[in-house]
Amino acid sequence: MLGNHIKISLRTLRRNRTFSVINVLGLALGIAIFLLITEYVAFEWGANRFHKNFDQLYRASTFTADADKGDYYLPPGYAPTLKNRVPGINEVVRVAEGVGSGLVIVPGTNGSTAGNKSFRENKVSFADDNFFRVFSFPVIKGSTSLAKAQTMAISASIAQKYFGNGNPIGQVLNIKNQFGLTPYTVTAVYEGMPQQSDIQADILLSYKTLENAAFRNGNNWADPNGLGSGYTNIYFMLNKGVDLKLFEAQATQVIHKAAPDAAKATLAFQPLRNLHIAPSFSYHFQTYGSLVLVVSFLSVALLIMMIAWLNYINLSTAQALYRAKESGVRKVLGASRMQIVGQYLTETAILTLISIVIAIVSVKLVQPFYNNFLGKELSLTVLNQGRFWVGGITVVFTGCFLAGGYVAFMLSSIDPLKTIRGKAAITIGGISLRRSLVVFQFTTSVILIISTITLYRQLKYMQTQDLGMNVQQRVVISGPSTLSGSQRDNTLAFENQLRQLPYVQKLAASNNVPGEGYNFSADGITRLNANVGDDKKSYAMLIVDDKYFDTYDIKIKAGATFTPQMLEQGWSKTHKIIINESAAAQLGFKNTENIIGQKIKWDAEFEVVGVVKDYHHLSLHEFIRPMIFLPAVAHNYFTIKMDTRNLAGHVSQLKSIYEHSFPGEPFTYTFADESFDKQYNAEQKLGNVFMASAGAAVFIAALGLFGLATFAARQKIKEIGIRKVLGANVLNIVTLISADFLKLVAIAIVIASPVAWYIMNKWLQDFAYHTSIQWWVFALAGSIAVVIAFVTVSIQSVKAAIANPVKSLRNE
Amino acid sequence: MLSLKNISKYYQAGGNKTYVLNNVSLDVDAGEFVSIMGPSGSGKSTLLNIIGMLDEPSEGYHYFMKEAVHQLKEKARSALYKEYIGFVFQAYHLIDELTVYENIETPLIYQNIKSSERKALVADMLDRFQIVGKKDLFPAQLSGGQQQLVGIARALITKPRVILADEPTGNLNSKQGEEIMELFRKLNKEDKVTIIQVTHSEKNAEYGTRIINVLDGKIDSSRNV
Repeated sequence: MLGNHIKISLRTLRRNRTFSVINVLGLALGIAIFLLITEYVAFEWGANRFHKNFDQLYRASTFTADADKGDYYLPPGYAPTLKNRVPGINEVVRVAEGVGSGLVIVPGTNGSTAGNKSFRENKVSFADDNFFRVFSFPVIKGSTSLAKAQTMAISASIAQKYFGNGNPIGQVLNIKNQFGLTPYTVTAVYEGMPQQSDIQADILLSYKTLENAAFRNGNNWADPNGLGSGYTNIYFMLNKGVDLKLFEAQATQVIHKAAPDAAKATLAFQPLRNLHIAPSFSYHFQTYGSLVLVVSFLSVALLIMMIAWLNYINLSTAQALYRAKESGVRKVLGASRMQIVGQYLTETAILTLISIVIAIVSVKLVQPFYNNFLGKELSLTVLNQGRFWVGGITVVFTGCFLAGGYVAFMLSSIDPLKTIRGKAAITIGGISLRRSLVVFQFTTSVILIISTITLYRQLKYMQTQDLGMNVQQRVVISGPSTLSGSQRDNTLAFENQLRQLPYVQKLAASNNVPGEGYNFSADGITRLNANVGDDKKSYAMLIVDDKYFDTYDIKIKAGATFTPQMLEQGWSKTHKIIINESAAAQLGFKNTENIIGQKIKWDAEFEVVGVVKDYHHLSLHEFIRPMIFLPAVAHNYFTIKMDTRNLAGHVSQLKSIYEHSFPGEPFTYTFADESFDKQYNAEQKLGNVFMASAGAAVFIAALGLFGLATFAARQKIKEIGIRKVLGANVLNIVTLISADFLKLVAIAIVIASPVAWYIMNKWLQDFAYHTSIQWWVFALAGSIAVVIAFVTVSIQSVKAAIANPVKSLRNE
Repeated sequence: MLSLKNISKYYQAGGNKTYVLNNVSLDVDAGEFVSIMGPSGSGKSTLLNIIGMLDEPSEGYHYFMKEAVHQLKEKARSALYKEYIGFVFQAYHLIDELTVYENIETPLIYQNIKSSERKALVADMLDRFQIVGKKDLFPAQLSGGQQQLVGIARALITKPRVILADEPTGNLNSKQGEEIMELFRKLNKEDKVTIIQVTHSEKNAEYGTRIINVLDGKIDSSRNV
């Protein structure tokens, strides 16, 4: 029986080639997109779960009443304090991410300093000795412990970069960072940390090193036993069966006793499994990934899958007219209903299998491009994590089975008498069903089109909005890692040398730059006669020189920029600051002119020497923060406004000057506008995924429409013939067939518009600065849908209209 | 063999009943060859469909092989007609996707007959109708007469006691029609198959042993040939 089913199915599919191809194309495309998106979701879901002990691991965060999200940069002293006083802790490990970043000097092979190579590394972290015991990062060579001071572990790729195929174990590297110049011995090489890890480090330095004040270079905030400055992440491996609520209460109590400063903060522990993706939208811990993104991607995937299934139902029931006769005859010949259902299900199964095969092949083909634009290393094997493939297969098969089953039951329910007599009009599932399916498909498509347009409009808006400053044609050179006495002079000499160059139009030194971040945030800053609560307000601090504002075209509204004397003394001695308009407002000044010369209290008293117009220091995701600029001989970044003609020549000259001024410091540069735009990578990706999805949805819906139009043209062949004989022209006939479908698309647009408006409005609210949704977006999306629908339908209706009516009438 | 008693078939249209068949009684004995004649819309096809259990009467009693069909459930009814009745249609109703061989074989598959046995039965039938050479052709590749021949072969493959034929020659030219009628006569005489056919053609009706005239849902006359 099955063999017979398969044989007949194959013949039927071959005979109805157009329908089969449309069906398979739609299904395959739907499944392929579903698989690709599920890969991404599985990847995000699986983040950090590769650690053997992941269900026992937690990261500590503190919560204060006025903060929305938890803070996971904690004072390192919390770890030893808690370890001994709260029961239930198996292991505590601190990871101070990026704190050790700077220059790594690799000794030359001949032992003299001349052969030294130096590398700028920004993923250098401090970690406790049990790091490799708690986390499952395989160690390839050496010991897994960082127990001794001045020991380090390096990743395999760093080992390759520094030593080629040589043995790195026992090698001594000098690391020059904010803690001065410290020699470290390599004790371990570990496998590169996978992309699915939120802990990322190229180099791990032993935390123990910082216990020696000599290796802190005066940075006493970094004391591993300190309870004041929060800069480290603390991971806990708890014993199985620990009552988390109780544990959190006990831990909070212990910290309150040990560090009275932290009296307002509550300690809470975030399971490692939720470190990347929040378990709910109202999650208060910070996460690395985005639940919103995962959920929207998953919804898009399911929607597209659904469109494909509906296509299947639509096309198959449309064919009922032809298949009904066959079902009727089979029934008369003795087939039971189940046997006929079996026949149709076999057809569905064959179509589904072909589609799955095509989908998998397509996924393999587009995988490199997909990975490229998502910036992730995805593959079908990702689906093995958390058994996502089980869910995936279930979804695909259940959907196909339901769709196929529906069709089979509808077709097998036909009264054989009617079909055999060929008298009754055969409408399976009714015309209204097919119409609703088309409306649903186009509604979804239009929603996706509107979303895509809105996404890109927001992206464009953010990229073209007046930032209140200028990042075009600005080259940013990273400065030397640390500034010792002589280097400070070198810095000034370097700047002077650059100013002599003809193509350097403007030059500024600062300790951070637009698009990268601030230097730090501070509160406790008030006017002299402050209101209650003013000291809680937060300010973003940026350390800059006198040329910073001019170089970035930031307008000075009142007062003037810093003087060279102020730079020389530094902000901690000169006690002069410049603020932006937002800061002025937050401080409570009404008139900017009057601020100049006013005193601000920040422990000591600071004098305001200038007010600058607000500008977007960071992306338009965020509101402009109240900013305070502090004067110093800055050295982290040199921003050059330059003539960009002959860029390559200029850069090589800059390089040689730089290397001469700062021996051993590698020269690296970026373009300020590119770095600034990088902040919109997430939107760019989201836009790309939505564009592809919208395209696919429209394509599948159009395929379905094409199938239905084919069917309608065939079904109306007699009507068309009669009308032609009565004098109808081609246009009349095309209108006759097309109008019906265009009406459905119009209904879809009407339904889709408010839904899309609601969703996109919600999405836009997440941006501090956002575009509005204009009426023409709906018009454009609608037009796209109408044009595509019209073209699709016309192909068939024109064909029907120009056919010779004599033929169709004679056939009757 | 079959007996209809006071069979009526009507449709409710508003408050009125429109009768397609009105109080028809008919007995057919085994071995008969009955031709049902009548103008379009007289109810002759409905009568045939009720006999074939494809359609249900609105009222009346229907006995077939001593079973009270009007009391049977759908399942039992279809089991009954599957066992004893073969259908032949005006439009042949062959399955387009199947070859001649497969079309004839299909009813056997639905009766769960083993593959080897099916082969033998179909081969016999092909042989008997002299269409062995056409067994791998599809219906579209055959002439109308050949298609109807296959249709009859398919109806006979399950060895039915009764053949119900609704205008079997309606789509054929006169020569093809004659051949089909000769075949029916032979089946009736030699194989003792009971045949009930609906026809428009006076000439084809004459092949039967009894001619029944239906007019406006009633049996107008009945005569033995």
